[in-house]
Amino acid sequence: MIEVNYKHKLNNFLLDISFTMPDKGITVLFGPSGSGKTSVLNLMSGLGNDKNKKINSRFIINDRVIDDSINRIKIQPWFRNIAYVFQDHRLFPHMTTKQNILFGYNRCNSELRPEVLIEKFKIKELLEHYPEQLSGGQKQRVSMVRALLSQPELLILDEPLASLDYTSRQELLPYIECIHKELDIPIIYVSHDIKEVLRLADYILIMDKGKIVDQGDIADLCISQPLLTQQEGASFILEARVTKIIEEDKLVQLDCGETILITAESMRLNDKIRVLIHARDVSLCLSPPQDSSILNCVPICVDEIQADENGKLRVIAKIGKQTIVSLISHRSARQLNIKKGKQMYAQFKATAMIK
Amino acid sequence: MIELSPILVTLKLATITTLILLLIGTPLAWWLSNTSSKSKVVIESIVALPLVLPPTVLGFYLLLALSPDGFIGHFWLYISNTPLSFSFSGLVIGSVLYSMPFVVQPLQASFEMVGKPLQQAANTLGANSFDTFKNIVLPLSKRGFLVAITLGFAHTVGEFGVVLMIGGNIPEVTQVLSIIIYDHVEVLEYTQAHYYSIGLLVFSFIVLFVTYSFNRKLMVRL
Repeated sequence: MIEVNYKHKLNNFLLDISFTMPDKGITVLFGPSGSGKTSVLNLMSGLGNDKNKKINSRFIINDRVIDDSINRIKIQPWFRNIAYVFQDHRLFPHMTTKQNILFGYNRCNSELRPEVLIEKFKIKELLEHYPEQLSGGQKQRVSMVRALLSQPELLILDEPLASLDYTSRQELLPYIECIHKELDIPIIYVSHDIKEVLRLADYILIMDKGKIVDQGDIADLCISQPLLTQQEGASFILEARVTKIIEEDKLVQLDCGETILITAESMRLNDKIRVLIHARDVSLCLSPPQDSSILNCVPICVDEIQADENGKLRVIAKIGKQTIVSLISHRSARQLNIKKGKQMYAQFKATAMIK
Repeated sequence: MIELSPILVTLKLATITTLILLLIGTPLAWWLSNTSSKSKVVIESIVALPLVLPPTVLGFYLLLALSPDGFIGHFWLYISNTPLSFSFSGLVIGSVLYSMPFVVQPLQASFEMVGKPLQQAANTLGANSFDTFKNIVLPLSKRGFLVAITLGFAHTVGEFGVVLMIGGNIPEVTQVLSIIIYDHVEVLEYTQAHYYSIGLLVFSFIVLFVTYSFNRKLMVRL
């Protein structure tokens, strides 16, 4: 378990955070810019310039005390064993890729084999290149390998995709998932991009004005937490398992309590995947339509109806044991007479994400 | 016709001064580039003083300080049993102070250009402050050092006022090039003055040309 407590006066507000996060998986720290996310990371990694500032701190990784203001413990950044992947890669310009990735490796008793990660992150061809010869996505991959080879106990990723274009981001996401799958280290991932969050997060901490305002499993919070649901492109996720691959139509059949179909490639039978669905892509009907191009139509039971800030209604319903959200207009709600407990059908398009 | 000793004295003075300046200038520049202390501005101003002060002012106070009754001179006499005024050692002390900004400022600028972010990255990868300075900051400040060395050296070669005040113009001990030119001109030996002057002119041009072509940003600023 990782326990983090910091109370610290920043220039314009009081940072007062206290949370525990799981010691495995990706914990996303989500919040609007200026909410203090980077300050938290700087405190955790010991990089903040906090001389002469009073800080109440207690930060423990698996029984190892990193910061403890009561007992006057403050471990130097280089002894913390917390690796940091910065938004701006921060590769050393006078070193080749190889020298860069071995910088941390040579300073710890790492049991990892560099070849394995070089292979996994596909940077073998880049080893003799200098950072200025690399593209944005390549730099970030090198930066991740560099961080991982120092065999950290905790990996911090501070918006590693923010400075990249859309294509590079899509390319990089699988590598982040790869860290998650291959290496058993806890990751704290900072982002304010809802799509990234839904794709990557296992656990989520929501931060606003220097405080953790909510925390929990991503599947729950993306339905209940206003900071997530009020976002442009608010979505929710369904956990599912691949039950059938229909090659000729490039479709995959999934079980998520009900049987659904999605367009997806390169999946294997019984893969556990996460399905991302935009709330605005879910439409409701009273009986299953016979002539729709939308493949998925599943029975649901309305659980709750909430008013949305943008003048729409959020209908929250159960699909099997999981939850589905539909964004509809007041008029549709009246015409269909939607109320709690009503049995209906939901139609939707979905995107799959391997987890 | 041309005496060798002023050239040798000048080169010796410039070399020793530059070495001493690197030894004290590097940590000072490092401190200045990192500190958020309020005394930073004070120290920066003191370091830059020789840039605006007439060399005679600096020379005058040094003359007082280095004399056997002066604060430094008295101490020197006590530990080494030799007077400091009109000695080569005194000249070195004066040159170090006078050329200080030409070494400290380019170093400080290049340390600042390396910046905190890379150092932080090195720290999270297990490198302590010294390790980071040695393996990240120093290699990335190579140009800054080159500029600092050439400017420090060249400026010491070219100094006149301070040397005139505290050197005493003793042949083979404190008689440097700039002074001997002055001596020749005073007795109207223009040919000799020409030889030394042309030499210094060409030397200074080459030094500045080399430094400027390496990096303008690291030049001394005021």
